[in-house]
Amino acid sequence: MRVVCLQENLAKGLSVVNRAVSSRTTLPVLQNVLLQAEGPGNLKLAATNLDLAITCWIAAQVEEEGATTVPARLLTDFVSTLPTGPLQMALDVRTQTLHLMSDRTQADFRITDAADFPVIPSGDGDVALTLAPHSLRQAIAQVAFAASTDETRPTLTGVYITADEGRLVFVATDGYRLAMRTIPMEEMTGELGVIVPARALNELARIMADADTEQNASLSVTPERNQVVFQVPGKGTHDSKGAFQQVELIAQIIDATYPNYKAIVPTDWETRTVLPTQEFHQVVRRAYLFAREASNIIRLHITPGEPGTVAVYAGSADYGEHRAELDAMVEGVEIELAFNGRYLLDVLQVLDSPQMVLETTQATRPGVIRPVGTGPEEFVYVLMPMNVR
Amino acid sequence: MPIRILPPEVADRIAAGEVVERPASVVKELVENALDAGATYVRVEITEGGRRLIRVSDNGCGIPAAELPLAVRRHATSKITTAEDLAAIYTLGFRGEALAAIASVARLTLTSRYREEHAGARVVVEGGHIVRQETVGHPIGTTVVVEHLFFNTPARRKFLKAPRTEAGHVQRVVTRYALAFPEVRFALVSDGRIAFQSPGTGRLADAVTAVYGADVARELVPLADEEVQPETEDVLSSVPRIWGYTSKPSYTRPNAQSILFFLNKRWITDRALVQAVVQAYHTLLPTGRYPLSVVHIALDPRQVDVNVHPAKAEVRFREPRVVFTAVQRAVRAAVTASSGTPLGPVETTPVSGWTLPASWAERQRSAGSLAPSFPSLSEDTPTQGELIAQKDTSSRATLLPLLRVVGQVGGAYIVAEGPDGLYLIDQHAAHERVLYEKLMAERERAGQLPSQHLLDPIPITVDSDQGSLLAAHREMLHRLGFVIEVFGESTYLVRAVPAVLSGQHPAQVLEDVLEGLRDARDLVGEQLERAIVARICKRAAVKAGQVLSDEEMRSLVRELEACQVPHTCPHGRPTIWHISAADLAKRFGRT
Repeated sequence: MRVVCLQENLAKGLSVVNRAVSSRTTLPVLQNVLLQAEGPGNLKLAATNLDLAITCWIAAQVEEEGATTVPARLLTDFVSTLPTGPLQMALDVRTQTLHLMSDRTQADFRITDAADFPVIPSGDGDVALTLAPHSLRQAIAQVAFAASTDETRPTLTGVYITADEGRLVFVATDGYRLAMRTIPMEEMTGELGVIVPARALNELARIMADADTEQNASLSVTPERNQVVFQVPGKGTHDSKGAFQQVELIAQIIDATYPNYKAIVPTDWETRTVLPTQEFHQVVRRAYLFAREASNIIRLHITPGEPGTVAVYAGSADYGEHRAELDAMVEGVEIELAFNGRYLLDVLQVLDSPQMVLETTQATRPGVIRPVGTGPEEFVYVLMPMNVR
Repeated sequence: MPIRILPPEVADRIAAGEVVERPASVVKELVENALDAGATYVRVEITEGGRRLIRVSDNGCGIPAAELPLAVRRHATSKITTAEDLAAIYTLGFRGEALAAIASVARLTLTSRYREEHAGARVVVEGGHIVRQETVGHPIGTTVVVEHLFFNTPARRKFLKAPRTEAGHVQRVVTRYALAFPEVRFALVSDGRIAFQSPGTGRLADAVTAVYGADVARELVPLADEEVQPETEDVLSSVPRIWGYTSKPSYTRPNAQSILFFLNKRWITDRALVQAVVQAYHTLLPTGRYPLSVVHIALDPRQVDVNVHPAKAEVRFREPRVVFTAVQRAVRAAVTASSGTPLGPVETTPVSGWTLPASWAERQRSAGSLAPSFPSLSEDTPTQGELIAQKDTSSRATLLPLLRVVGQVGGAYIVAEGPDGLYLIDQHAAHERVLYEKLMAERERAGQLPSQHLLDPIPITVDSDQGSLLAAHREMLHRLGFVIEVFGESTYLVRAVPAVLSGQHPAQVLEDVLEGLRDARDLVGEQLERAIVARICKRAAVKAGQVLSDEEMRSLVRELEACQVPHTCPHGRPTIWHISAADLAKRFGRT
């Protein structure tokens, strides 16, 4: 194997795959990154921890095809300190080293044979759907946080992605709140229903910050139906610096039946409150400073009128208390209830519409938060109130 | 076989079995006689653990020569005269059985000189019969020699343990009397060597030091300011008065044997009172560890029945609840007053360690930005002003000194620096303590804990044991934040869990709490509720292995500083381990 590439591109590619490098020492080769020169114009980098695999292609001049693996951390740290510009990598099979040359710096890395590296599936399975990178990214941002981090409930640590009746739905819940995003789909090939680990999706969202927004990302399921493959097109060309050509992220599908979330979303309300999102976010943030010392309790007192008001209260015996009032459009009856401040903040951070609506029925029944005027894409957040005295 | 009246020798030997079980019980009876005779010095000598010889000599009033033969007869006593006297017993012995019982199973030599007589007298009894009686020289007082114990009851003899074990039992008896009668000087000589000696100064503190040693005595705190002497009737009211010593929470023992009770100077065993002491420590003791306590109770004898058992170790209180509460309250007060001191820097004068810059407190406040350096070693001793400043900072409301977080070890412990050295904090235990105090305060204020509803109620199936626990404690669980409904046979619906546990698996949370209820079966009411709150905190607290950010560690340490009892978690494990500057210096050979 012999390749020439730009330091900027290699550093970028390594930083992308690095997130999948295993920290476990039981299988030492998992701490390595796979370097594979196969096509004429690109170098493939790959890493996996067996739960998650990331493959990244960067622009490179391949002078001789081949593959090998090198310790990921060492290579990443080393490359990141090199000066920008072209660098050459050559595999020396006799000495079992990878020789790296950059300007006047040279290094030899001990290698492990590429044959020892696990086979990483590629996205050649049934492409279930394609969608714009920003839609996918936003869906992950608005939903994945609601998944559980409790490993004893594996089903809830995932995001349920379904496609039917022309809609793509992302859902996550930890049993206490639920976030759901719906994206209308025009063209769809077949049905879909997979639970993808939220952790993998968060990695995907991070990678997608550098995606090419002109091209669609795709989602496919491997023929064994146990893994899901996301393909993200990058901005990398032979002239580009600090970019990748394409990334594939492969995650294990959580093999379980997702709870019937549809029944959880309330369909009616007794009080409907329209609030300015930013203002409400600020008020809740301030209230949370007190609430976090007292079981995260934030109380809302919603009063209809001209205009209606929402009073936000939080306080702890040790630290003091906070009170604020907001004007709001309130329809329906007066209500007083309490929410976990963390659950409120989580959703307020990902709402991007200027106005939001809060629908409530009773102090012990779920509340619903939606953005106002999202158009065809829909977002719903359901959260259970707290019982306080 | 026809029914027969047993010959007196046989009856005596059977009766002896109740009183004389082993050498230690002989010593007990003889020491009690000595004390009842008003002795101020009691010397006990044993050979081969008391199997071969037991000699108890005292300087009490003695027995008139004419009464000696009577003293060894059964039901012969000078201590009570009528049945009415039994209702108010001030002496230790009263049954008039001891000497007769001992005499029936051993060779007993009783030598005594009454204080108004000029010569002593001696009787020798073997197998219950007086074999010799003579006049001898003897100082005022009585000496009883018991030889060849159980020579005529081989069954009993076979059950005696090794001499060392028996000697240990004897020592336990003698030390108990030393604790009961601090004004009496005791000496125990075993196989010619002095095994124990008490000074007889009349101060309980001296007796405790003699029994447990100076190191242990330093770990004890007094239960009351003054000692009560239950000598006369008018002192003894029907309200129990408590004094004595108990260990600081930092000192524990592996069993409850070092919790001793003396009722009107009589050593008694009472399981309920042991519970009273242990409960007084509340969450401060690690599970399976017990304090060391010497508790004196003074109470009108009419409030107690001591004639329950021949060995007189068990008594019956007329109002057990009152005594229980009094003991618990006294111990609790002492423990509360003492907690904090074992770690507080007040007691350690840092003359040889780091001296404290006057601005320590301010520097600690802005510790976040401080470079991680210890204050420099100072050669000179601190000035008076500095010492006072130091005491002021440490005696403020918090019981922990201000700490600066240095880092985390093994994802489980926080390393912090304080005014007097290094502090290691168990993050899980510390967080448990912080949560526990917050929740208890919350419960105090609102009467119940806030709860978080579930989006979708979760059905859980319970076994019959769990089911009955759930049914029995439904109201308490509700106060603690659970909303649970019956949902068919052996199935319940969990609708809400305590807010502090939100995010966790509701079914597991409930199972954990049910497990807690099962473990705490013998607790009721407040005690039980506290135990369950502690259980909830255990579940909600950060686990060992969780990497914490600097900010998280700082806020945890700040919250721990604000706790009332920061040194232990609600289950009694320590939260913090202090290595003083002096210890560090010693370790590195700087001193």
